[in-house]
Amino acid sequence: MSKSGILIAVEGMDGSGKSTQAKLLYHWLRAKGLPVYHTEWNSSKIVKAATKLGKQNKRLLPMTFHLIHAADFADRWAKQIEPVLKIGGIVICDRYKYTAMARDGSREVSLETIEQTYSFAREPDLTIYFDVPGEIGYERITKGRPSLKYYEAGMDMGWSDDPFESYRIFQSKVSEIYSQLVKDGRIIRLDATGSVPEVQKRMRVLFNDNIDISEITVIDHADRLAQNLSQSDFDWLSYTGGN
Amino acid sequence: MYQGKLIVIEGPDQVGRSLHTKLLSARLEAHGVATFTIGLARSTLMGELLKSHTHHIHQLNWRTRALLYATDLHDQIQNGIEPLLEAGFVVISDRYDMTPKIRESVRGGDSDWIESLYSEIPKPDSVILLHCGPRRLLNRIMFGEKLESLNNFESGMDMGISTSITSSFLKYQKLLRDEFTKAGKDIGATLIPTRDSVEVVHNKIWESIQPIIGDLIQPINDS
Repeated sequence: MSKSGILIAVEGMDGSGKSTQAKLLYHWLRAKGLPVYHTEWNSSKIVKAATKLGKQNKRLLPMTFHLIHAADFADRWAKQIEPVLKIGGIVICDRYKYTAMARDGSREVSLETIEQTYSFAREPDLTIYFDVPGEIGYERITKGRPSLKYYEAGMDMGWSDDPFESYRIFQSKVSEIYSQLVKDGRIIRLDATGSVPEVQKRMRVLFNDNIDISEITVIDHADRLAQNLSQSDFDWLSYTGGN
Repeated sequence: MYQGKLIVIEGPDQVGRSLHTKLLSARLEAHGVATFTIGLARSTLMGELLKSHTHHIHQLNWRTRALLYATDLHDQIQNGIEPLLEAGFVVISDRYDMTPKIRESVRGGDSDWIESLYSEIPKPDSVILLHCGPRRLLNRIMFGEKLESLNNFESGMDMGISTSITSSFLKYQKLLRDEFTKAGKDIGATLIPTRDSVEVVHNKIWESIQPIIGDLIQPINDS
């Protein structure tokens, strides 16, 4: 089966900076005039409401946590990811099925079950794992926050009564699973320490080494211009015709 | 192995599932057996979303819908059913994993994949499959003055079988019945036609579950 489009995923611990970098990658490719789409974990309009309810009521158990996140992903897969790939575009996924492996796997859902549930989601052409020392991620997330969210901290698993301690335990389990995925060659490690521009530079090198965008059809200049104008705050009153 | 029993009643809409679930539950209670009823779209987690956003749910792709229904059933099982089964309740499930599987597989969904979502749920002790002809189902809907509430999804209009909602419904229900029958036979379900009177159908259901509830029931008249 010939596959069309390019699928990129970013993965990593909370606070690793992957979302910032994924958006920068998106803006870069968009600036090149390429058809590119960016989608985030847990953002399906219809499913998100139920997930929120389940989290608020602390009702989600490992298996329902697993299934509801898969539902969110499946909705985005059908409405956003697959359609863009089908027309030969680029999709950037901020978190992909490896997040489910790391988080649901830490919650003791078997990796076999997780792989099976997500069997429809093909391996991306490049999955970048943003690696930062545990302490850095921990500080970025906890700094200035009086408390952590229940599921974010893994409190549902009863590892510890202290949210911060529970979070540490949870993150170390997540990190272990990610490390195994790196060893298995399914995700590629990127040193994510340093400033935003430094990491972006490294990310682009990794991208260029692994991805060939020469086959992707650029969106027509006139269409891009029309789109940019319609989205901008261009002030027509002060437009004098230019020269 | 649980002290309690799990009885599943499956079949299409209008076949009489909910009525017979109620009757069975009432009769068991009269015989001193505690019962609890579960069913599709009844979980605290997903019930509201699945019922009040039916229109949106019907627009989703089959995979997302399958996952939402799997979440719904797992929520009911994990948060309530397992302890009840352990305590010796008879849990009656008004539809279980068969309906969500068949409803999507007739639409081209991968039934093996959907089945894998349910690999960890308790196995029913008894599955009763109620069935009757499509025209009979349609007649019941008409007699119940509910024809105008028949929606496109439940009539299979989204599958493009026919442009008329009634003939689409008949063809769609025929498809469902074939699939239900096949699946029912595969898992050794008891197939009961509901063309007979309510009493006759109920008695057939009651008889079919005797092997699993015989030890649990108390006589109504102790003499």
